Amino acid sequence: MTDKTMTEDAVTDIRESADGESGSGAATVVYPAKRVITMNPANPFAEAVAVRDGRVLAVGTVSEVRSWERPGEKFTIDTRFENKVLLPGFIEAHSHVMAGGMWEMPYVGFFDRRDPNGQVWTGCGKFEDVEQRLIEADREMTDRGDDPGEILLAWGLDPIYFEGDRVTRHHLDRVSDTRPIFVYHASGHLATVNTPMLERAQITAEATTPGVSLGPDGQPDGELQEPPAMNLAREAFGKFRSNLAAPGAMQNYAREARNAGHTLVVDLGTSQLIVPEQMERWQASTARDDFPCRAMVALSSMMGGPSNLEDLAAFGETLKDQETDKLRFGVVKLLLDGSIQGFTARISWPYYYDAPEGHPGNGQWLIPPDQFADIFGAFHRAGLTVHTHCNGDQATEVFVRAVEKVLAESPRPDHRHTVQHCQLTTKAQYKRMAALGMCANIFSNHIFYWGDQHRDITVGPERARGMDACATALREGVSFSIHSDAPITPLGHLHTAWCAVNRLTASGKVLGEEECISVKDALHAITLGAAWQLKLDHDMGSIESGKLADFAVLEEDPLEIDPVRLKDIAVWGTVLGGVPQPAGT
Amino acid sequence: MNPPGSSPTEILVTVLGGYLGAGKTTLVNHLLRRSDQPIAVIVNDFGSIAIDADLIDAHDGETITLENGCICCSMVDGFAAALDQVLAAPVRPARLVVEASGVGDPAEIAAYGHGPGLRLAGVVTVVDGVRVRKQLRDEYIGDTVAAQVVAADLIVANKADLVVDPGLVLDALAARSSAPILAATHAGVDPELVWDLPRVGKRTLTAAPASSRFRSWSITSDEPMDRAKTMELLAADAAVVRAKGVVRFVDAPEVRVIVHRVEDDVTVTEAGQWRGGASQLVFIATNS
Repeated sequence: MTDKTMTEDAVTDIRESADGESGSGAATVVYPAKRVITMNPANPFAEAVAVRDGRVLAVGTVSEVRSWERPGEKFTIDTRFENKVLLPGFIEAHSHVMAGGMWEMPYVGFFDRRDPNGQVWTGCGKFEDVEQRLIEADREMTDRGDDPGEILLAWGLDPIYFEGDRVTRHHLDRVSDTRPIFVYHASGHLATVNTPMLERAQITAEATTPGVSLGPDGQPDGELQEPPAMNLAREAFGKFRSNLAAPGAMQNYAREARNAGHTLVVDLGTSQLIVPEQMERWQASTARDDFPCRAMVALSSMMGGPSNLEDLAAFGETLKDQETDKLRFGVVKLLLDGSIQGFTARISWPYYYDAPEGHPGNGQWLIPPDQFADIFGAFHRAGLTVHTHCNGDQATEVFVRAVEKVLAESPRPDHRHTVQHCQLTTKAQYKRMAALGMCANIFSNHIFYWGDQHRDITVGPERARGMDACATALREGVSFSIHSDAPITPLGHLHTAWCAVNRLTASGKVLGEEECISVKDALHAITLGAAWQLKLDHDMGSIESGKLADFAVLEEDPLEIDPVRLKDIAVWGTVLGGVPQPAGT
Repeated sequence: MNPPGSSPTEILVTVLGGYLGAGKTTLVNHLLRRSDQPIAVIVNDFGSIAIDADLIDAHDGETITLENGCICCSMVDGFAAALDQVLAAPVRPARLVVEASGVGDPAEIAAYGHGPGLRLAGVVTVVDGVRVRKQLRDEYIGDTVAAQVVAADLIVANKADLVVDPGLVLDALAARSSAPILAATHAGVDPELVWDLPRVGKRTLTAAPASSRFRSWSITSDEPMDRAKTMELLAADAAVVRAKGVVRFVDAPEVRVIVHRVEDDVTVTEAGQWRGGASQLVFIATNS
């Protein structure tokens, strides 16, 4: 943090207090709360927190924190949280800025989802719901004077849950037989388009690109499978992709995070920081007073960069000097394998449980395993913390072996290299991770969203019960966090924590009760656990004197309620650097 | 030369697959150096490309302008964006070579070769002749390398000069693929043998065994070949659907001769000076 930004925060703070109930204009604000859950083991619960210059001055009883008041000073007592519960601001250590860009387009997914305005978009449980939402979107476009040929884009379609036929162009033609429509599926592997879109893109039965699905009449039925086929509807796919990077995307991403109680989100490997325009966009967005969350942006090796790996690592080293109060750096993202539900994660024998016919037998590598240690080593030696996407246990194995090898050659204490997703990591691997000082960021949301499929189809009952093994990480002494991978699943740590605590699938079954963790441990994972692996635990992750005044403000106490209701706790918003940030603004 | 049925305005797309270290980039350099046609190059991962300096005209950030006027760029922003860059270059390429990543399935990249204005002209997989048998047995990469072999319309068995057991290498490859196999050193395969291949490899992203509709074989000769015997060989087997070769004959050992057979039509074209190396012929026949 620089002095300049601290001063700016303090100014904001004073202005906020001046608008408040006491109106004294004092630089210290005391927030009494129903309870403060500090996550500081030495001082776990408190009545109130006093904030000065964007930081926690003191936490304790009201009289304890007021005892810091000196003659001539006047503390402001802000009672807006007196019936609310304060926790350290949640830290989402694995999400993507596209989570904000998606909201440039209407959502037609199966599950309820809350947008950055705080509005809940109810899930589309059947095609008629999708149709109705698209008719409204079409009407809105017409009402605001869009060209009738302007493409209607939508996202999140999840017809796996619909009864009856597949969704085809005929369904979408019922929405409009003039305006082209392009609907991106939740899986990311498919798009469905209507007849005007097929005509506009000149996609015919003669198309030789694999993935252009044909109907019983021998004509394209509107389903475009995988990127080469989706690319045929190039205008639509291009516009979809540019929406994800629209100017509003970063702001919406931060607002959505704030709405769910987060004060730091990590964009883990979506941005090409080496491209100056992308760096400038992050700098400009986060510099705005109304950017309501801190962001850490990971350096990514898979998304471009200099041809020389050492150059990219050297660039990564320089990023630390460009940090501001709300824009952080320091981690690099690498990817080793694909996804379990897509059967592209690298898993060990006996491989997939019930893979689709013709599946090649195992998943896909994204970096050659023999090359991984060299790539990892370059970033390790540059002093960066390496976060590697490993869904399958073979991927974890390649990462752990690389850390073992490179650490022996280039020792570096306290590296905190982190296995991201860590879904099928075995107990033996967790033990080695603990010995090496590695961390885990576990994709616990998978239990709810795909747990049934993992048990019945992808990995089978035994491995599914042991996947996303938070309790094992805890037992083996691996510091861990949990994550949403938004927009893959919705951003929201209370839901993510609920998954780790209850391990309930979408069908309501418990998947592996031995791996359930306590609410307290889950709260640690989404605060200090995440802060540790980002090397920010000295400044974030708990409410204690000297740390940033970043809080999640909840309507109920997560340690008092039935743990199965954890995800249902209403979030008032956050306090960011001492400034209240109500949800939905 | 355009393959039968192609339009001259279509860009012919050749996909190069092969595991890390097999020699894909060496082959790209060789194709750029030895071909008379303007060729653009798209690579999957910019970090892996090493175009020889004398083939480069200008290097601007993430785009290389080649000495032939075309460009070399990466597909980090997707294939469509890379293709836009290729088409914006001062020289419109006749051919586009797409180098897959070392762990990529070239069949997946080949799917892009059917887009508007493009025609897929074959998938070529380069294998490291020394390591490929061990790689195919490896728990971590065996299936990856096998998929690359299965997708191939032509296999370049590289590092042939270092292989001690060529028969075992051929067996391992032939067990998985009916594509012709060309032994090569420093990926030195004549471009004429690489372009415009009939489809032999598997294109769907599944583990279904390679098509058994075809069988193939190749002939390599370090010495000049007998013209009459070669013509006889080319015409002999009625099941041959395609044969091609770059050869030199005893009666004119300094002349580079390109021979083609498409169905029953055999053509022989003289194409300048012999460029060194071995004469090579590949045959693809139906299995009926």
